Amino acid sequence: MLNKLLFRNQDSRQLVIAMIGAFLGITFLVTSIHYLIKVQEFGEGNDVLGPNTIVVQKKVTEASVFNLTKTDFSEDAIKEIRDLPFVSRAQPVISRGLYFEKDDNKVPVDFGTDVFVQTVDAEFLDMDSEKWTWEEGAGHVPIVLPRQFLVMLNTYAASRNIPQVSESLAKRIRFKLTLHSKDGKTKESHRAYIVGFTNSVASILVPEDFMSYANNKFSADEKQKVTQLMISSKDGQFGKVEEYMNKHALESAESEMNLSRLKSIVGTLFLVVIGISIIAVFVSCLVLIQYMQLLITRNLYEVRTLMRIGYHPKELVRKFFKYFSIIFAIIIGIAFTTFIILKSWLDGMFADGGVYIDNNLTAWSFGALIVAYTFFMLSSFLTARKGIYEEY
Amino acid sequence: MNIKLDHIMPEPLASINHSEDSIWGNSVELKSGHRILLNASSGKGKTTFAGTIYGLRRDYSGTVTFDGEDIRSFDPDRWTDIRKTKISAIFQDLQLFPDLSVRENLLLKNQLTDTYSEVEFKQMMQRLEIDDKWEQPCGLLSMGQKQRVAIIRALAQPYQWLLLDEPFSHLDVDNTDRCMVMIHERTMEQKAGFVLTSLGSAHDYEYDYELKL
Repeated sequence: MLNKLLFRNQDSRQLVIAMIGAFLGITFLVTSIHYLIKVQEFGEGNDVLGPNTIVVQKKVTEASVFNLTKTDFSEDAIKEIRDLPFVSRAQPVISRGLYFEKDDNKVPVDFGTDVFVQTVDAEFLDMDSEKWTWEEGAGHVPIVLPRQFLVMLNTYAASRNIPQVSESLAKRIRFKLTLHSKDGKTKESHRAYIVGFTNSVASILVPEDFMSYANNKFSADEKQKVTQLMISSKDGQFGKVEEYMNKHALESAESEMNLSRLKSIVGTLFLVVIGISIIAVFVSCLVLIQYMQLLITRNLYEVRTLMRIGYHPKELVRKFFKYFSIIFAIIIGIAFTTFIILKSWLDGMFADGGVYIDNNLTAWSFGALIVAYTFFMLSSFLTARKGIYEEY
Repeated sequence: MNIKLDHIMPEPLASINHSEDSIWGNSVELKSGHRILLNASSGKGKTTFAGTIYGLRRDYSGTVTFDGEDIRSFDPDRWTDIRKTKISAIFQDLQLFPDLSVRENLLLKNQLTDTYSEVEFKQMMQRLEIDDKWEQPCGLLSMGQKQRVAIIRALAQPYQWLLLDEPFSHLDVDNTDRCMVMIHERTMEQKAGFVLTSLGSAHDYEYDYELKL
């Protein structure tokens, strides 16, 4: 009866328009948040190097060939890059050569080659930092292998009709790293195992402690030059890193640049959509709240009379609040269902285009729904409370 | 519950000259269980009096107390309790819901305290000769029929005081008598008091004393 009394005279057209606005706003908000996160995560799962991380070096020019300009980074230059506002971290990459070979019989391919190894700091790796350490006397050296290396190995295996090696099998193979002095007279071998793969660098990565040990023991008299830096940009600011690189004649591998550039552009686009969606949610909330105010104003006589015959204002506030809670729940429910349908369609489109995005739902999407619902609920409660108690 | 008016002067009536025995500007006590007649011509403040006691108006100087407590200090919780269980009122403008049926108007009030059953309501309507209006929207009733519905609604709660603001203005003598009997029975049953405001007629009802405005 109370519902019939308070909600009988409604302008359903205005209510439906406000509901459509809220529905569209929430749907776009949840969808854009979901894909913003998925774009940021894209490619991270199978690469141990963190997002937006690139290795940069100075461009080799005619001048540098004739030693007129330097290709190494000074301490000051490293500090300058590290202090840039759009750079989250920057570390020198130290390198040296060693002999890399297989040390067990899990794969029927015999190989051994001189390779170039580089260091990477644990903070750049998307893995437990305790696994990325080495100390003198340790049984094994953890290494990160360039994925390209495995591809080459498998190409070779295929040409010889030998079974190929998967990434998971490769992680179980034991390798041997042999350090040697410049003249080759002193040698020392260490067992090694793969902890991850990367597309971002072309050399085998080893912990800094191992590199320091190797350089101190076998190249103590050689001064190490820093010719490469590993840089991570802040989210969505890769464009600024690129601008800085162009300005200072720095370069990086084009493939990793493209991925970072693409992620940065798409991330920015989704941020714009999120911004527009938030405005849409806010405006539709205002319209719904205005609709509630109108409803209370239309029912002023009923509200006043109910309080005069003994109804508590709290009970009337609860009635309006409950009514709008149901409306918001319907909007959220329809928006979520639409998001799931939209997501399934978009994931299919991405897959058709060769981009395989993880299709699990993100906690942030649910978080956005909860925040939007809480925002609506809080606004409706405060509006109902103000409108009713003003008439008391 | 004793009600005391201590030098009450409603703002809209402050510029009018009131007689020496008027309740406005004097101290008056309405003692529990008394039947009081407030007889005055139009514009003297009968509705203002009812509105002040019922907590609808706060535009007055002086103090109104219920059992010694200043009613200005009452919060919505307290007023809700008072309107549900201590004071019932029949408003001059009746305050019915025109779009709801008579049944819905009565049950909406009754569900607060569950005082009567539907059968009892129908019996009361029968006594007041409006039992055929049970399902009719209140907006379609005549003023006299609406007054009888408003009287039944006011009786559908426990109370210690009943405020009747010109409740019989559109009723003939027979219907007024029937209503008076019903109000008397219900008020006596609860050992309650009432204040009846009237435009010059006491409707042959016995009262303990009369207040002047």
